[in-house]
Amino acid sequence: MRDEVFVYALSTCPWCRKAKQWFTDAQVPFEFVDVDRLKGEEQDAAAEKAYQLSGGRRYPVVVINGEVVTGHNPNRYLELLKSVG
Amino acid sequence: MTMADATRKDALRYLFEKVVGPLGYKFTPDEELADFLLEQEVKLEQDHGAPFCPCQGRTGARADDMKIVCPCIPFHREHFDKMRRCWCGLFVHKDVTDPDSLPQFPPDEA
Repeated sequence: MRDEVFVYALSTCPWCRKAKQWFTDAQVPFEFVDVDRLKGEEQDAAAEKAYQLSGGRRYPVVVINGEVVTGHNPNRYLELLKSVG
Repeated sequence: MTMADATRKDALRYLFEKVVGPLGYKFTPDEELADFLLEQEVKLEQDHGAPFCPCQGRTGARADDMKIVCPCIPFHREHFDKMRRCWCGLFVHKDVTDPDSLPQFPPDEA
C-alpha cells in the first residue's frame, strides 16, 4: 500500500531536514519542496499552500495521505502512514 | 562562512544570551544545532534584514514578520513554555539537559 507524502520545508530549518531524513530512513517515498529556495510567484504559492494547510507559518508542514502534521513528529507520522508500523 | 559571518554569529550569541536568560531560557546544549541555527540566522539577516527564525516563514507583513525575529520567545511564550523550547530549538528551558527528548508540536496541540 503506497502512502502519499509531501513535505513543505525551509532549507534553513534543521527540523525540516530531520523530517526528510526520517522518511528516507523509513524508506517511505516522499516529495518535498524547500519553499525558501523557490523564486517569486512560485515561492508565494508554495508558502500560501503551506499556510492554508497548517494555519500558520511554522515548518515543516507534512501532508500524509491528506492529513496535515505541523512540525517534525515521528509518532504522528507513524499513525498516519499505512505502509509503515 | 567568512570571518565577518563568524563575528556576527558570535555577536548574536552574546546578544541573545542576554535576552533569553531573564525569560528562563538558555541556548540548547546541542552545540552543533546551535551553530547551524546561528549560521542560518546570519544568512537570513544578510538576505532579509533581520535574524528571522530559520523554521518559520516570513509573510511580508512587517508586523507579523517582526514576531519571528530571534529570539521570538516573548511573542510565543505560552506555546514555547509548553514545549520547553522555542520552535527551531535554539533555546530550551533552563532545566532542559536532553533537548532531543522534547517534541515539536503546533500551538493547537499544546
